[in-house]
Amino acid sequence: MITFDALTIVYMLEIVVGSLLVSVGVHFVPVGGAPAAMAQATGIGTGTVTLAAGSGLTGLLACGLMMSVTDNIWPILASGAIGSMIMMDATMLTGDFIYSYAVGCPYASAKVNYDPITGFSQPPYVAPGTVGQGIPTVCFVTGTIGALLGGVGGAMIYFPCNMISHNPAQAAVFTIGIFFVHSVIPSWNIQGTIEGFHDPKFKKWPFAYKASLIAGILLAIMTVLIQPLGGA
Amino acid sequence: MSEKPKRFKLEPKQLRIYGIGGAIVGIYLAHFLNAATGTNIFSFIGSLAAIGGVLWGANAIRRICSYGLGTGVPAMGMLALGMATVASLFGLNIAEQFGVGILGPIIALAYSLLFGYIVGILCNKVMHFNIPIMEEGMFDISGAGTLAILGWSMTLSGTLSYNTIVKDVYSTGFLAIIFILGGMAIFHPFNANLGPDEKQDRTLVDGIMVAGLAMIALGICSLATLGLSAALVTIVVGFAVWYYNYIWYFRLAKEDAAAVVGTGLLPPSVQ
Repeated sequence: MITFDALTIVYMLEIVVGSLLVSVGVHFVPVGGAPAAMAQATGIGTGTVTLAAGSGLTGLLACGLMMSVTDNIWPILASGAIGSMIMMDATMLTGDFIYSYAVGCPYASAKVNYDPITGFSQPPYVAPGTVGQGIPTVCFVTGTIGALLGGVGGAMIYFPCNMISHNPAQAAVFTIGIFFVHSVIPSWNIQGTIEGFHDPKFKKWPFAYKASLIAGILLAIMTVLIQPLGGA
Repeated sequence: MSEKPKRFKLEPKQLRIYGIGGAIVGIYLAHFLNAATGTNIFSFIGSLAAIGGVLWGANAIRRICSYGLGTGVPAMGMLALGMATVASLFGLNIAEQFGVGILGPIIALAYSLLFGYIVGILCNKVMHFNIPIMEEGMFDISGAGTLAILGWSMTLSGTLSYNTIVKDVYSTGFLAIIFILGGMAIFHPFNANLGPDEKQDRTLVDGIMVAGLAMIALGICSLATLGLSAALVTIVVGFAVWYYNYIWYFRLAKEDAAAVVGTGLLPPSVQ
C-alpha cells in the first residue's frame, strides 16, 4: 500500500526544486530557433525542446553513471551539471565555428548595444534585416549557466525517481517526461526564442516559475506515489 | 490511383468520444483476449487501440497549434508524451496497489486529463496566453498521449499487469521508442500538413499512417518480449494499416494539391 513518510516529502521537494531549476534554466539558454539556423538571429539554431533533450539526456547519462557507483546526492548533482554543461558548450562552440567559418558572419546581439561581459559594441556588426548572428560571449556564458541549472535540475529529478523505483531505466524515462514538461512550459513563456539573461523577455521568468511550480507539485505527487511492487 | 478518395469531417467532441471509447475498448479487448486464450497473439489490438488516441491527439494539436504558440509543433507532442509517461505508469501502479489492477488505464486516463486541464489553466491564467481552447486542448493531448502509450505498451507486454509492463516496456528501454514514435504520430500530422490548405481528413489520415509505421517498429521490438508469432501478427497488421492509409493519404494529397489555386500571398498580376 501507499507509504508516506518524511523521506517521501524530501523526494517530493527534490522533484519540485529540480523542476523549477529546469524551468528557470531554459530562460538562460540562447535558443534561436529556425531564424538562428539561417544566421538571422542570435542563438543556437534549434528549438528549446531539442536543446533540452540534448543537454538533459547528456546530463542524465552522466548522473546515471555516477548514481550506479554512489548514493550520495552531491556527486550525482555535480556530474549531471557537468555533463549537461559540456554538451551545451560543445554545441555552442561547434555552432560558432560554423557561423564563423562556413556562414561567415560576425557574432552580434541585437538586444543590447554593448555586450554586458566584454563591453564590445554590438550594433555595427548586426547585418541589416536580421536580429543578430552567431553566439556572442554573453550568450555563451548565459547558455553555460542555463545548462548548469538544467543539469542540476535533471539530476535532482533523477535522484529521487531512482531512489523510489530502484530501476534506472524507469527513473530515466520519468526524468525525461518531467524534464520535457518543464522545458516546454518556459519555452512557451519566451515564445520560442530568447538570447539569455540580457534579453528583455528574461523578465518574464516568474510566470513560467509559477506555472512550473504547480505542474511540478502535481508531477511530484504522481512520482512519489508509484511504489515498486513485488517482482518489478 | 485515379478513384476519388473518401473524405470526412469530424467534430472535436465526436473525435474525443471515438478516441477514448476506441482506445479503452481496444486495450481491454487485447488484455482479455490474451488472458482468455492464454496466448499473446492478440497484443496487436493494443496498437490498433492506440490509433484512437493518436487521432484524438492529432486533432487537438491541429486545433491548438493553428493559434501559433511561438514554439514549433513538436514541443506540443513532447509535452503530451511527457505528461503521459508519468500518468500512465502512475495509473497502472496505483490501481495495482489498491488491488484493482484492471482499472489501471481508467485511473491513468483520469489523472492525465486532470493534469492536462491544469496545465492548460496555468498557460492561460499564469502565463497569459489567452488562447480560448488551451484548457480543452491540453486536456485532449494529455489524455490522448496516455491512451497511445498504454495501447503501445500493451503491444509490447501483452498484458495490463504493472510488473510485466515495467519489465517489458520500461526496463528494456522500449519506452524511448514509444515516446518518440508516439510523439511523431501525434505531432507529425499537423507539422507536415499545416498551411493555408490544411484539411482535417488529410491530417488525420497522415496520423493513422504514422501510427501504422509505429506499429511495425513496435512489432519488431516485441520480437524480444513476446516472441515470433505475436510479433509477426503486429508487423503484418501494422504494414496493412500503413499501406492502406498511405494510399489514402496519397490520393487526398493529390486531390487537395489540384485544388490549390493561390495562396493569397501575392497580388494578382494586372497587365
